[in-house]
Amino acid sequence: MIDDLLNDFLAETAEILAEAGGALVAWEADPADRAQLDAIFRLVHTIKGSSGFLSLPRVTALSHAAEDALDQVRRGNRPANAALVTAVLAIIDRLSGLCTALGNSGTEPPGDDSDVIGALALVDDTPVAAAAPVEVEATEEDINTDLLQSWRSIRVPLPLLDSVMTGVTDIVLARNEFARMLRESGADASVIASFDRLSDSIAGMRQSVSQMRMQRIDKLFAPLPRIVRDLAQDLGKKIRFSTSGGEVELDREMMENIRDPLIHIVRNAIDHGIEPLDERVAAGKGVTANIAVSARQSGNQIEIEVRDDGRGLSPDALVAKALSVRVIGAAEAKALSPREKLELIFRPGFSTAAKITAISGRGVGMDIVKANLEKIGGVVELRNDEGRGLSIVLRVPMTLTIISGLMVRASGQYFAIPRGSVREILLETSDSVRIDRIGGGELVTVRGEQFPLLRLEQVLGGEVDASEDRDDRAIILIRPGQGMSYALSVAAIHDHEELVIKPAAPMIMATGLYAGTTLPDNGRPVLLLDVQGLLAAAGVDASEAGRSHDADVEAAAEAAAARDAAQLLLFCDVGGQMRGVRLSVIERVEEVPAAALFESAGAVQVKIGSDIFPVHAAAVPRGRDAVKLLRLHDGQSVLCYPIEAVIDIVRLPDAVQTAPAPGLIAGVVLIGGQPVELIDPFWLMAQYGTGQAAPSLRQPLCRIAADADGWASNFLAPILRSAGYRVIGGDEASEERPDVQLCLTEAASGPIASDVPLVRLRASPAATGPEDDSIYRYDRAALLEALRRQVAGGRS
Amino acid sequence: MMEKLYLIARIADTRVALRSRAINSVVTVGTPVHVPAAPPHVAGLFALRSRVFTLIDPHVVIGLPPVPVAPGQRVIVVDVAEHGYALLADAIEDVCFIEAPETRVAGKLLPGWARVADAMIEHEGHSLLVVDPSHFVTLPVAKAA
Repeated sequence: MIDDLLNDFLAETAEILAEAGGALVAWEADPADRAQLDAIFRLVHTIKGSSGFLSLPRVTALSHAAEDALDQVRRGNRPANAALVTAVLAIIDRLSGLCTALGNSGTEPPGDDSDVIGALALVDDTPVAAAAPVEVEATEEDINTDLLQSWRSIRVPLPLLDSVMTGVTDIVLARNEFARMLRESGADASVIASFDRLSDSIAGMRQSVSQMRMQRIDKLFAPLPRIVRDLAQDLGKKIRFSTSGGEVELDREMMENIRDPLIHIVRNAIDHGIEPLDERVAAGKGVTANIAVSARQSGNQIEIEVRDDGRGLSPDALVAKALSVRVIGAAEAKALSPREKLELIFRPGFSTAAKITAISGRGVGMDIVKANLEKIGGVVELRNDEGRGLSIVLRVPMTLTIISGLMVRASGQYFAIPRGSVREILLETSDSVRIDRIGGGELVTVRGEQFPLLRLEQVLGGEVDASEDRDDRAIILIRPGQGMSYALSVAAIHDHEELVIKPAAPMIMATGLYAGTTLPDNGRPVLLLDVQGLLAAAGVDASEAGRSHDADVEAAAEAAAARDAAQLLLFCDVGGQMRGVRLSVIERVEEVPAAALFESAGAVQVKIGSDIFPVHAAAVPRGRDAVKLLRLHDGQSVLCYPIEAVIDIVRLPDAVQTAPAPGLIAGVVLIGGQPVELIDPFWLMAQYGTGQAAPSLRQPLCRIAADADGWASNFLAPILRSAGYRVIGGDEASEERPDVQLCLTEAASGPIASDVPLVRLRASPAATGPEDDSIYRYDRAALLEALRRQVAGGRS
Repeated sequence: MMEKLYLIARIADTRVALRSRAINSVVTVGTPVHVPAAPPHVAGLFALRSRVFTLIDPHVVIGLPPVPVAPGQRVIVVDVAEHGYALLADAIEDVCFIEAPETRVAGKLLPGWARVADAMIEHEGHSLLVVDPSHFVTLPVAKAA
């Protein structure tokens, strides 16, 4: 009985202490914040109350002292200053230590606390500290809502939660079994209807139970303000620390796994990232540095970003450092790309500090951070802005146990691949795939990019089953980690499913090929493949560095790209119609949750990552969870085109029946005897502009009065159009008066209208004389400027 | 009391007495899912009440050739180090208390059996090898004789 009470007390106190630490630092930043002070007082008071009940004299004495001091402040008998906060924090630390001991031994260890309690009394005489060294932007509402929440929640032991989870999984499996039997027995409709109702509530329950395992990421952020404060004080730095996105939820197991990496990164930012005060001043920055930790959910991943405005990473300094600690050799150093230079910090044995400091150099390096993240299927990204700051982004799956998996078949058996590492899926028979056998190995070239090819059957020690349909064979481009990729050939792609992953038996994990087991809805276990382990087993180097597209074979890649220009991506339109678009204008095919689409100013837009792109749709699609989008890219802007599904990639036939009027459909081609409408990307992009010129604005009309050998229409017209002009040739009749006309001085004089402003272009870079007002025809900026001036002049 | 409780089964062509402490249950399985590249004594995976179990073929552990798994095959479910395993059994005979003490193995056993057998016990006029089921899981596989 007493044990239960003690456990409850410890769990509650641990939470309170973490919260109180953060609240204290926030209060220190703004001593006038009465609400904050009251909150801290209540927290300490709570500890005192429950410890008295459990007769823990040391805990009671400590919390009493802190409560007393805080009460003095509340009554205005005592100033709130940094020294007082430090003293209260010391008490909180002592309390944490005591609680740990209590948890281990069950009894309060004897000891003397007069030092910390005495320190609290001492600070009476110290004058009010000047500016608080650390400012923390923890909003008041956060803490108030937390207090409110704690009233409305109860404590549940974790094993109980886990057993509920297992129970529900059992129910789901039993339901599936039962559903199969019902189907086979041909039960009547009313039975099936009530079974469906049961089914729905089970699905709802499963969802709730997974949510029970989720925790707000606030918990992860709670100790950070305190860490920042203490470290900043030790190092004499001034730091404004803020967190956002605390409401994002994460599986509790996941949370445990990123706690240490996150703290390490924040410590690193303070220690190495933020410059000393004088250096900041010299660099023209404010003396108070900023560190922001933010979390956001994107799809089934959580992104946690730690951003500082310190000195950032210097690639050259990193290389010099790596050379001096012999992490790399001189030859390797020369071959590094800028990104690889930054990623040196992830090498084992590397530490960015000139000397290992007491703060960051504790044997935990960025290599451990990276390894920890990868262990749970996450990645670490660096966004460096040398001299201005560094962002480190941790991207982790939302839960360890449930992932989105792609089911594939090999040797007549199903395997799962984590969806997160799949970059692209192609049919082996597709036109854009070329497979070469070289020296016993296989290599696949996809749109000019080469990948080592692994056949799943062979990696798993079997043979490719000759009885399988070769047309089903698919190639999955896999990115097992940053800067690595390979192609995996499988007998067929099945579908994707949300999978509950459990670790496999040690002797199976020891093969290095599997990351766990899962039970999909059919009740037969499926092995989850370890995409990195497959590589190791195959003994293939999947590093992208030095592959074809990097250096000498670039020409070949370009030739391949030229071939692609004549390739057509066939897809099924949202209307169910088969349409095609030139592959070269497609940046990629993207699947986004339907919630990412929104309507703004009458136009549908989509949010992908931190970017917003226009979508070619009349309205936001309803009644679906996810939307597939073709990303059209013209080198500058992106337009998304919603589709139902990608069908194939084929060679674009030469015979195109062009549409009579410009519009979405450029024409019709026959593919395998079927008419396929060709999308006109030019028209599409024109509809959605580049954001500089709103489509509703009238675009000025530019007439090319005299063209030499078609130069103007081939070279010039596209530039003009992209700059927002409509272009007509000299011999085209137009009802509209052009706003401006262009002529080439060397060209035979064409019909030049006298009432339209004229811009003359010359072929040679140098002007013929001072009176020559013509513009060199490849001077894009001057040309566009002259046009703009003439158009504006003509209107005014 | 539990120490005296044994499961008498025929495993790898030999009648043995399995200490019941580690035994979870005896169930029948359908066709297991093959695990490519796994050690040879792993006969596959199967699901039981939303848990995935690893099927172990004791024949291979003893050094005999593996046996095919027939649908409806009875297996002995054991937990070892928080993972679930099942041992293929040729036949399950009985669960019973044996009052007789365990004795040191007398005589020379096949090398495979010598590694897994802990002791011998007298039961209804027969000498049985006493085996801890976890030995089939944790011991390295014997080289085929």
